Amino acid sequence: MQKRSDDTLVAYLDGELDGAERQHVEAWLAADGAARDRLAGLAQSASLVRSAYADIVNEPIPERLIAAARGETAPQREAEILVLKRPGRPIVTMPAGRWGIGIAAAAGLFGLVLGGAGSYLATGGLNSANPAAEQRLAAAAAHSTWLDNAAGYYKLVVSAGDSMLIDVPAGGDTGEALQKISQNLPQQVRLPDLKPWGLNFRGARLVVVEGRPAAQLVYVTDNKAIGPLTLVIGASKQPDIQPTFDRRQDVNMLFWRHHGRAYALVGQTDIGYLWGIANDVAWQLDAI
Amino acid sequence: MSFRWKQAEAPVRAAERGDPVSQRFSDQLIAVLPRLRRFARGLTGSATEADDLVQAACERALAREHQFQEGTRFDSWMFRIVQTLWIDQLRAREVRKEDGDVAEERLGSDSAVRTIEARLALAEVRRAVQLLPPDQRTTLMLVTVEGLSYKEAAEVAGVPVGTIMSRLARARIALQQHLETGGGSRRSLNNAEAQ
Repeated sequence: MQKRSDDTLVAYLDGELDGAERQHVEAWLAADGAARDRLAGLAQSASLVRSAYADIVNEPIPERLIAAARGETAPQREAEILVLKRPGRPIVTMPAGRWGIGIAAAAGLFGLVLGGAGSYLATGGLNSANPAAEQRLAAAAAHSTWLDNAAGYYKLVVSAGDSMLIDVPAGGDTGEALQKISQNLPQQVRLPDLKPWGLNFRGARLVVVEGRPAAQLVYVTDNKAIGPLTLVIGASKQPDIQPTFDRRQDVNMLFWRHHGRAYALVGQTDIGYLWGIANDVAWQLDAI
Repeated sequence: MSFRWKQAEAPVRAAERGDPVSQRFSDQLIAVLPRLRRFARGLTGSATEADDLVQAACERALAREHQFQEGTRFDSWMFRIVQTLWIDQLRAREVRKEDGDVAEERLGSDSAVRTIEARLALAEVRRAVQLLPPDQRTTLMLVTVEGLSYKEAAEVAGVPVGTIMSRLARARIALQQHLETGGGSRRSLNNAEAQ
């Protein structure tokens, strides 16, 4: 073995050298500052690699893998997931134009938001004698309202189609554009890359969810079975929760909270895709 | 809280088909699933592809249960199956070319996207891993992430220990160089490591 090489340094770091080789490397390191720097850099990159993959082992295991490990004849992923039908056409047909689309979409949005607000008011009207229970109910209602809003804004995007009003369009300097929208938010918004899923970033919108500003990232695709999808990112003081499935009418959502942020991935695609994309988004954004 | 999606049909247990599966073997398999998923994610760079790969590996392992030697490491045996299937897939898809396309695609096709993603410190590390040649990537995942010894990694990869050592050194140096030339992302990388 070559005694003074990167191979040797890496093997030394990994504890793969025997006594004599180790002593030789330690003597080398004691005499050579550049080798020590090299070693420190290699140690740091190894540590980063371990960190980069650390969280994957804590993810929930997909049902199909457990079935496969049990020797069950699990159907392929397409059959395994709950497939939801997309609506054939919008409920309200309006002349093309932003106002017409806006009115139709706002009607749908109003219904969803009103539903959330109703539940919130109902909670407030309980006047429970148990403050803790009341607090839990209020939190549940707020959670519900958050999802109502996220679904409502998604419907707005779908209804508007190509006429969608975008605060920050894709193209050009997206980084600068996202910084601009982040100025209205408690935290910097980062852009997940969903191109491997065939989803292209269409733009970002500043929305209000539960009375607080949030970013709605819009992704589109030619594949009608997948998109469009939106990712809503807002601030939250609630404890972290793992991705949880919820649904509003024909809209599917995966909602989770992590480190003071609330996320909702919203779309009409099937749950399997949504789950895979949510994993990817969490993987990219949670690394911050 | 974990999410479970609805099954279209209740799966038929192998045991019910007159093909009983060793309960102990299945338990071992389920126990190692999280690490298999991580290993596969490191190889493929995609959550979906990784799970497809792990599912195929489970099916192959059950079909070849009799080939597993008691007293040897079960996780190493499974890593080897995952690696073999992945290499088969790479060859079948001629991914030398396709891999390059995918890597470029995942890095983002315009500079603005790349600039934003450069801030995603650990995501950048994973992307750097994806830029490594398949043999170096496999070695890095086995030794540095999964903690196998050089000898164990050599058995999984079916190569001499010296080859593992040189592949690993090349991988770690290439990775370090890639991360160092990340420019503005350097500080965030340090922050990510500190967390």
